[in-house]
Amino acid sequence: MVKTVDVVVAGAGNAGLAAAAATAKMGLSTLLVERHNIPGGSASSFRRGRFEFEPSLHELAGYGSPGNPGDVRDIFSDLGVNVEMLEVKDAFRTIVTGPEGYDLVMPVGIENFVYAMEKAVPGSAESTVNFFKLAGDVGRALGYLSSGQPDPAVLQKDHINFMKVANLPAGPVLDALNMPPKAQQIIMTYWPYMGTPRGQFSFVLYSLMVYRYISMSAYIPKNRSHDMSLALEQAIRDHGGEVWYNTEISELLVKDGRCYGVRTRDGSEIHSKQVIANFYPDRAFAGMTPPNETPKQEVKRANARTLGMSGYCVYLGLDKSPEELGIKDYSVFINTTPDSDEQQKGMYTLDNNDFFIMNCLNIDNPGCSPEGTSILWGTQLFAPGVWDQLKPAEYKAVKNRVAKKIITAYERAAGVKISDCIEEISTATPVTFARYLDTPDGSIYGYHGVKWDAMLPRIMGMRGEQWIQGLRFAGGHGARTMGYSSTYINGYQTAQLAAQEIKEGR
Amino acid sequence: MANEVNLNLDPRGFLEIMPQRAAAFEAASEAPLPTDYPVNKLMRAFHPDWQYARIQKIETHGPGAKSFTLVPDESKGTKELAYFSAGQYICVYLAIGASRLLRPYSIRSAPADAPAGKYILTIKRAQDGFASDYILDHWKEGGAVTLTGPEGNFTYEPLRDAKEIVGIAGGSGITPFFSLAAAIAGGAEDCRLTLLYGSRRAEDILLKDELDALARQTDKFKVIHVLSDDPAEGYESGFITADLIKKHTPSGDYSLFLCGPQEMYAYCDAQIAALALPPRRVRHELFGAPSARLTHPNLKDGAFTMKVITRNSEKEAPCAANESLLVALERAGTAVPSRCRSGECGFCHTKLLSGEVFIPSDFDKRRLADVAYNYIHPCVTFPLSDITIEVPGQKEPV
Ligand SMILES: Cc1cc2nc3c(=O)[nH]c(=O)nc-3n(C[C@H](O)[C@H](O)[C@H](O)COP(=O)(O)OP(=O)(O)OC[C@H]3O[C@@H](n4cnc5c(N)ncnc54)[C@H](O)[C@@H]3O)c2cc1C
Ligand code: FES
Repeated sequence: MVKTVDVVVAGAGNAGLAAAAATAKMGLSTLLVERHNIPGGSASSFRRGRFEFEPSLHELAGYGSPGNPGDVRDIFSDLGVNVEMLEVKDAFRTIVTGPEGYDLVMPVGIENFVYAMEKAVPGSAESTVNFFKLAGDVGRALGYLSSGQPDPAVLQKDHINFMKVANLPAGPVLDALNMPPKAQQIIMTYWPYMGTPRGQFSFVLYSLMVYRYISMSAYIPKNRSHDMSLALEQAIRDHGGEVWYNTEISELLVKDGRCYGVRTRDGSEIHSKQVIANFYPDRAFAGMTPPNETPKQEVKRANARTLGMSGYCVYLGLDKSPEELGIKDYSVFINTTPDSDEQQKGMYTLDNNDFFIMNCLNIDNPGCSPEGTSILWGTQLFAPGVWDQLKPAEYKAVKNRVAKKIITAYERAAGVKISDCIEEISTATPVTFARYLDTPDGSIYGYHGVKWDAMLPRIMGMRGEQWIQGLRFAGGHGARTMGYSSTYINGYQTAQLAAQEIKEGR
Repeated sequence: MANEVNLNLDPRGFLEIMPQRAAAFEAASEAPLPTDYPVNKLMRAFHPDWQYARIQKIETHGPGAKSFTLVPDESKGTKELAYFSAGQYICVYLAIGASRLLRPYSIRSAPADAPAGKYILTIKRAQDGFASDYILDHWKEGGAVTLTGPEGNFTYEPLRDAKEIVGIAGGSGITPFFSLAAAIAGGAEDCRLTLLYGSRRAEDILLKDELDALARQTDKFKVIHVLSDDPAEGYESGFITADLIKKHTPSGDYSLFLCGPQEMYAYCDAQIAALALPPRRVRHELFGAPSARLTHPNLKDGAFTMKVITRNSEKEAPCAANESLLVALERAGTAVPSRCRSGECGFCHTKLLSGEVFIPSDFDKRRLADVAYNYIHPCVTFPLSDITIEVPGQKEPV
């Protein structure tokens, strides 16, 4: 039996959920199909003993307060999604060990941040102020660019600074702002959220992210990301959409350059006017389309790109409270070198990867674990390929070796003893991400955001780079690149484009 | 103020972006994209959808239990058995009459045997058993069986557990410890295991010779047999009490691992309380669904109807207050994903669309948001009215 709907969304990650909720909200009959048995992809949670762990989200950007809402909050309220969110109080603590080291807690609020930076790096204030002004320019320009076909004259007149930085990685722009090297290092602390360091990574996206975190604070869901995912799923149902779990899509139905639906692994066909795929184009064009309907351009585009980083996490349920342990910070970035390009080199190795982030959920989500306990988790990035050569019999020892290294380094850097109070431990490796996300090589970050494949070129390429009508991609590999807020926004906006096309009868 | 910052950079940079992008695409290869990746391959080595095996050998242990040696069935595409961590279980897939079910069994053999092409399961007849009876009566040498991948967290974790493990096993609860002892003897796990193994009489001890043989292989594994019904020379007797645990516990830090029937947990947990161990030093293996009657004092017998929605299909079937929804679903011939049958793994995650249910609190391991959005684990959920549920489909074996 063939089922027919207006829109099929393939994959219930953040982008898929937001897209399906949006098309359903616009009155289009919508079917969201997911191969796993819960929604969210990375945005989930899992339980061990008396703990419920957050698997992935450190901080949601672009949410904002009721008085100063960000675009993600606006999207949630448009979709009727109601989630209890908590504000993250500080920006971050950064500890760099070794001779060039420092240990700083950076606050949120632009003024506070500039002040703390000046204290840490005397003489940095002007450049930090200018960084945020420039980031504001960038945000305005992107708003203009997203609203339609840009007029070169308007760009020249209103967005000249944006034009100057648009094609540059963060490094040269920070240099042009005359930001002292140490201040550059501090402001680059967040880079691992993007997985591409200052020498390569687009200033546009980086500055926007920092701007959003510092000016609006970050937020986290009280009941873990699983709550956001189920709230979005509920919104789809409330707007009349359907969700099928444990259903894997094996084929995209394409004829004469037009996608007219999908086939599931068990052979049923779903026909639709629009398909929004939340999986990677690399998957789609490696056998999901008929060979004669597989655009050469898609294959070349996928081949041109480099898969983004994968990750490693160790989740710890401790039988002591943060007070007993002496933990005060929600997120601590720990490195042995302040240089992001150096930090990245370690991510291409299994045993010389010294960078990690340690979060203590209880700090900004008190009550997230029983009285007298706490939840900590450490996160590292690994380049695709690093975990490739392991044999099954070595795997447990290797993941424990990495966990032990993180725990020991944290104890040393933060001066907090945690190894003697571990009640629950669990790890997630690229293999785990491959299991739950089915991404190529367990990638969690889409593609590397190199200059020609950062957010701006992806947005500008969006219209011209659609080679199969009726098929769009949304996700960390999509126009807004990776991250929770990017993927929510990307899913939502992709839904608008799909709906517009349906409305215009194309 | 916009564009207030004075930047000594060239605005023409903007114009270069798209040409650079086009050039990068143009220069790229047209070679077909990879259809698989090494990490995804490794993932499938741990988590195959299904494993197809043949029963190579059956050993009978008295009237109530048998061991099955399973080897990969290459004719159905299983070349290797998935690797696992000692203490994990697999589920066997059974089609009995109209029912299709999964039952979890700890892998009794050593992890190192898996790549060598062998799992051993030791299965004991359960009282009023359904699946276990079927297995013991119907599985024959040479027969084909279908298995899931390994699951479960009843494993030794070196960063969490003490290096000294004290195991308490009852009945078929010996199986995960047997695997751990074999892993210790083979060098795959670096810890020590002192096992207190409760049986009724000396002749009931499951795998006694095999356990004693393992204990002779390594001084890191020791087994103490405890007989509850018939004291015998050379054995401890009675139940496994706090004093008995203390008597055999090494000095210093240790972790207590328990695996056995629910009655054993009830008894031993009370005994363990006297040892005042922190929660992180006591770990229980799951051992099946609760009995609703035991946990709900006012539960009345009740026969209800459940409406079951899966994707495009909808059907109605009976369910009853004294039987978990998972059993009712299996009885109705619905293929429901499940693994642990104890409320923990989340494989049976199901949306409750309407109706009232009862979930014994000790077995309610749902996520916070699942509770808020009415998701349930049918393996530990009992209906109190007619209900409507949305059950995800299951990818069926070939
Ligand atoms: C993690 C784990 C590891 C385990 N390891 C082992 C091990 O190594 N060795 C071992 O022996 N055991 C082990 N067990 C226990 C094992 O999985 C079973 O619980 C045990 O074998 C009893 O299963 P059963 O089907 O016989 O009975 P149960 O499933 O416990 O009970 C039978 C149920 O089937 C229902 N039923 C009756 N007719 C039908 C029908 N037509 N359709 C559907 N349902 C029906 C009955 O009402 C009843 O509720 C383990 C359990 C767990 C959770
Ligand atoms: S089967 Fe594991 S939770 Fe129900």
